[in-house]
Amino acid sequence: MFCTNCGSPVPDTANFCTACGSAVRHAPAPAPIEPAAPIQRSQPVQPPPRAPEPAVTSTLAPATCPWCGAEISGAQLSCPRCGATVKAPVLRSESGWGELPGRKDMAKLQFGNSFCQIEGLYVPVADVNLAASDSIYFTHHVLLWKDPQLTIGAMSLASGWKRMFAGLPLIMLQAQGPGHIAFSRDAPGEMIALPLQPGEEVDVREHLFMLATGNVSYDWFSTNIWYTTQSGDDKETHYPVGMFMDRFSAPEAPGLLLLHAAGNVFVRDLAPGQTILVKPTALIFKDPSVQMQLHFEHPRSGLSLGFGFGSSNWSNRYYWLRLWGPGRIAVQSVFDRMEGESRYLSNCSPATEQHW
Amino acid sequence: MPDAIPAAQPLERIQCQWCQGMNEKTALTCRACGAPLDIRNLVSESGWREAPRLRDMTEFSFSSSTCQVEGEIVPVAEIHLGANDSVFFEHHIMLWKDDNVPLTVLQLSGGLKRAFAGMPFIISVATGPGRIAFSRDATGELVVLPLHPGMELDVREHAFVLASHQIDYSFVRVKGLTNILFGGQGMFMDRFVTTNSPGMVLLHGYGNVFERRLKAGESIMVEPGAFLYKDSSVGMNVEFQQLSSGFFGGTNMSLARMTGPGRIGIQSMYVHHHTE
Repeated sequence: MFCTNCGSPVPDTANFCTACGSAVRHAPAPAPIEPAAPIQRSQPVQPPPRAPEPAVTSTLAPATCPWCGAEISGAQLSCPRCGATVKAPVLRSESGWGELPGRKDMAKLQFGNSFCQIEGLYVPVADVNLAASDSIYFTHHVLLWKDPQLTIGAMSLASGWKRMFAGLPLIMLQAQGPGHIAFSRDAPGEMIALPLQPGEEVDVREHLFMLATGNVSYDWFSTNIWYTTQSGDDKETHYPVGMFMDRFSAPEAPGLLLLHAAGNVFVRDLAPGQTILVKPTALIFKDPSVQMQLHFEHPRSGLSLGFGFGSSNWSNRYYWLRLWGPGRIAVQSVFDRMEGESRYLSNCSPATEQHW
Repeated sequence: MPDAIPAAQPLERIQCQWCQGMNEKTALTCRACGAPLDIRNLVSESGWREAPRLRDMTEFSFSSSTCQVEGEIVPVAEIHLGANDSVFFEHHIMLWKDDNVPLTVLQLSGGLKRAFAGMPFIISVATGPGRIAFSRDATGELVVLPLHPGMELDVREHAFVLASHQIDYSFVRVKGLTNILFGGQGMFMDRFVTTNSPGMVLLHGYGNVFERRLKAGESIMVEPGAFLYKDSSVGMNVEFQQLSSGFFGGTNMSLARMTGPGRIGIQSMYVHHHTE
């Protein structure tokens, strides 16, 4: 083990670190997490815009994690399942978007018999202490470091993973415990821990996936969100939320999904039928019950007489993704520019329009 | 029961756990590296220590100059150079300077040609008295590494912000040490060696920076893009991992095997600047 103060290796039996002299804390044996009952999520907040803050629970009463709903004993400061700080108030905008709950640097979460520590505040690292009984899978470009003896291998997968990332095939790798392995991505942002209870499913936009535990199963579906631009004879089809979307679920045992989003992350519940427009590339994940469609918005042109921009196909339009509930959605505050937004639009998937 | 330490002899000094520098016991930050002395170190269970989070406007000193660290997302290193004290750096990270601080070019030995973003690779020297400030191009942390005589430090190319003039600078090319996404062109590694007097190297790591001290023979596999610095006693070997899969007929992935003894520093985000 290592000294929690200076990082020097110390024998397991030592009471004090020989390098810095601080007392060595011996971690109690981890209690295995018993699978909690499926979470009843999405009682959508029908927003009266200034909903009163939930009453602060007394300090030692059992609490519920503000992020994943796990039962937490009063003594715990952060949720063992998702790492969220328990006592901090959840920040929610007047419009109903909630920020990710705060996370203490070095917060620790548990899955199966393994632990994951989340380190750093700008570009956080997921440092996984994988038990012999557990495995995880991840994309090859997120690996940061690993113990030499921990083996990784390519996953044999259904054709769904045959994707490209930065011109290279997206390779899914698998790590089997025991050993340490750590992951990070390439942008300042936030790590999102999504514990999945049996029966829970979540749809994730491509390239945001960081890792999943071995008992999380993966499927994909065609988004059917696309548009074709044309310049001369050159036609190009764009997929603003990706051609495919990943669907993760935990069929039998609870699992954990880690995502990394750029910038800040905001989450909200949509009531049945409630609609919101988001930039397609800002979407992080959604409940499968949330539907999506393209939406075009035409601002009123200054030229009010019928000349010039006669055709609504011309470029003076904004592209949106229309999402409607019920269900939960999440967006990130840093997102890519969409391709072909200012070009001539020749065809698109089913879409709604608004002319102002 | 052993006698307690006499209360009349309080500890006069406290040692900084980042750079081992000695400080007055009332100090809140280390005067040699700026690390907070009143905050517990953040060490992961796997043994990585986070680089000290320098408080905004922290000041520390080296030779006859001081450095103030300003800002927290993309921090600025503002140097107040003492008379005839000098620092050297890559020219593209200068943020502002007093107009009367002279700049010269460091004469590099060896015939290796390097270029950065199409410009020739030049190390510039600023000489005091006066002020000059530096910052880099992405979110990250400044890492202050005071070097004692006889120390040797290897640093990822373009990661160093500045070094004090007591330090000898050279560079070596390392083959294969690039991320899989950027091909196998290799990269340069800057080498800093102290001579007879202590000096200071200031780095900027992208994202968050973590350090670990490897025992002799202990090793860890690191993504090449994450490598930031190491003591030159730490060995570095690029190893290819053959990842066979039914679809791609096998792909190579390179990882750097770092073997102790010594310190190794990594960054959690990497931005690769190609040099030729």
